[in-house]
Amino acid sequence: MAKIEFKNVGHSYDQTAKHPVYALKPFSLSWEDGGRYALLGPSGCGKTTMLNIISGLITPSEGNVFFNDQNITSVKTEQRNIAQVFQFPVIYNTMSVYDNLAFPLKCRKFSESHIRKKVNEVAEILNLSSVIDSGAKRLTADQKQLISLGRGLVREDVAAVLMDEPLTVIDPDLKFKLRRKLKEINSKYKTTLIYVTHDQNEAMTFAEKIIVMDSGQIVQRGSSKELFERPSTTFVAYFIGSPAMNIFNCSIANNELILGKFKLKIDKNPDQITSNDLKVGIRSEFIDLSDKPKENSIHVKIKSNEDFGNYKLLTCEFDNLEIKVKIKREQNVTSETTYLILSKNRLCLYEKEKLIN
Amino acid sequence: MNFRHKFVFLLPGLLILIGILIFPIVFTVRLSLSSWDSFFPGLDFIGLDNYIRLFTDDKRFWESFFRLSFLSVTTVLLQYIIGFSLALIVWKDIIFQRFFRVLFLIPMMTTPVIMTVIWRTFFHESLGPVNDFFSLFGVTPLWLSDETLAKVTVIIVEVWQWTPFMFLLLLAGLLSLPKEPFLAAAIDGASPIRKFIYVTFPLMAPISIGAIIIRLIEASKIMDTVYVLTSGGPGTATETSSFYIFIKGLREFQMGYSAALSFTYLIIMIISLTIIAKLLVKLLINNN
Repeated sequence: MAKIEFKNVGHSYDQTAKHPVYALKPFSLSWEDGGRYALLGPSGCGKTTMLNIISGLITPSEGNVFFNDQNITSVKTEQRNIAQVFQFPVIYNTMSVYDNLAFPLKCRKFSESHIRKKVNEVAEILNLSSVIDSGAKRLTADQKQLISLGRGLVREDVAAVLMDEPLTVIDPDLKFKLRRKLKEINSKYKTTLIYVTHDQNEAMTFAEKIIVMDSGQIVQRGSSKELFERPSTTFVAYFIGSPAMNIFNCSIANNELILGKFKLKIDKNPDQITSNDLKVGIRSEFIDLSDKPKENSIHVKIKSNEDFGNYKLLTCEFDNLEIKVKIKREQNVTSETTYLILSKNRLCLYEKEKLIN
Repeated sequence: MNFRHKFVFLLPGLLILIGILIFPIVFTVRLSLSSWDSFFPGLDFIGLDNYIRLFTDDKRFWESFFRLSFLSVTTVLLQYIIGFSLALIVWKDIIFQRFFRVLFLIPMMTTPVIMTVIWRTFFHESLGPVNDFFSLFGVTPLWLSDETLAKVTVIIVEVWQWTPFMFLLLLAGLLSLPKEPFLAAAIDGASPIRKFIYVTFPLMAPISIGAIIIRLIEASKIMDTVYVLTSGGPGTATETSSFYIFIKGLREFQMGYSAALSFTYLIIMIISLTIIAKLLVKLLINNN
């Protein structure tokens, strides 16, 4: 186990270029020992590059990587004590499950008795004991993925287990079970787990801390609650949550927020706002319906009402702007217009796409 | 739409298929039941006489067949080992990678007959450069007129000529392999030898089988090398089935008998290659 630290780490795949294009823009970050992290972002945002820098498959073109305050930037993968689980299960087809799990220990020349003890222990945790002597090739995709994970867990010296979208090939039902298993393993072994995904639900349910990335940089780092309630940029607001946050251009006048023809109260001090590039956002989950005007309410026309089984989604219109509202399934909406209450503590105000705190 | 319409559309294709594939085989079978030779050309009918002669009174054919089996298995095995090694060398990022890739392919681009003439000159026992070199050590091996050495010479030329083909197939295979298993092996701390045994070789097994079978089919037709290099000699020491069939058919003009030889040879090849393919799959893939 180790604390992992990035100091001004950046990476460009074309280092000879005059103005290098960064796959990962220089930044500093530290991963606490035993933490459960998710790297979340759209395809091509630099998640996998970051993961490969930790595992040593890529040497960053700038900055240094530290494991427990030891600079390991140019240390090879083999000597880094990292375990990695890939998107598709990687197993040694020619070996049995036991030999697969024992392989990293055999390569490191541990004694036979130590190997047996450790492999049996890990097989027990991963529910692989019943198939331990069978050929690994014949197992199901999820069992194979468990073997990939198990090869990381048998090593006591592992600094972190890195997972690159490991549940892509797994059935939805099993995904849930495996995520729980990963959490169990994390609490038992106190292994640092770093999990790359572009699926927000996966990140939200798995990680203690989520790192959201976009275009080669970290845009926000926080818990699921923080990301959902106070997204730090409009990108995070769009990316997290389904449907995405409602975001509108707005302005400030006389201590009030002007949204189309409506005036809303805000809990920010307007003096701190200097720019004209202002946006306001609110989650569809945090909007209440009302049949008469109240404080911070806007009058809207209901365009559509879709039933998603566990909730209903209203699409409403005001001043040629669309706003989406999630309501309970049982709630009946019959009128063509309604009032939406945008309570001031739920409004997120963005100046130049960044949240004003 | 009824059946008749369907046949109208199928007919052109069927006719071509019958013309180029079925007819020659059927004609060969019919020819093999005749005594067509240079004295009495024509499709008479002599029953299975040719086949009876082949199975009871033609040791030379069976000897040439076993010689062919030995030569093709040996050459293909050597081609596989050398081709795989070369492919592994240029697979990784090395300097002049492109240059080496092209260099290794040159033998395949040359014309077999011409190259064999050049090889024959190399191995010429009194004038060739190979024996010039060996004579420095006081020996002059009989590359073309010793029974065993003539086989070795044929193998050398065949391996030289066709290893590039094996190299090409295996390199294409290596380049198409997924990266993750290799990364995983690096993370597990596997040595290069372990990586080869547990990752590279098993992943390459299906491609290896394909390459070996293609080369075995090709190698069993070996003809031009033998024809130019040794003409099957000394004696019949390097005579292979196809060369023997060539002698019977096109030198002695025993058309009927050589048709029987050809057809028998075809059947044996189909059966033995099927068995070999099955064995290879069992050995390289299932046993994994």
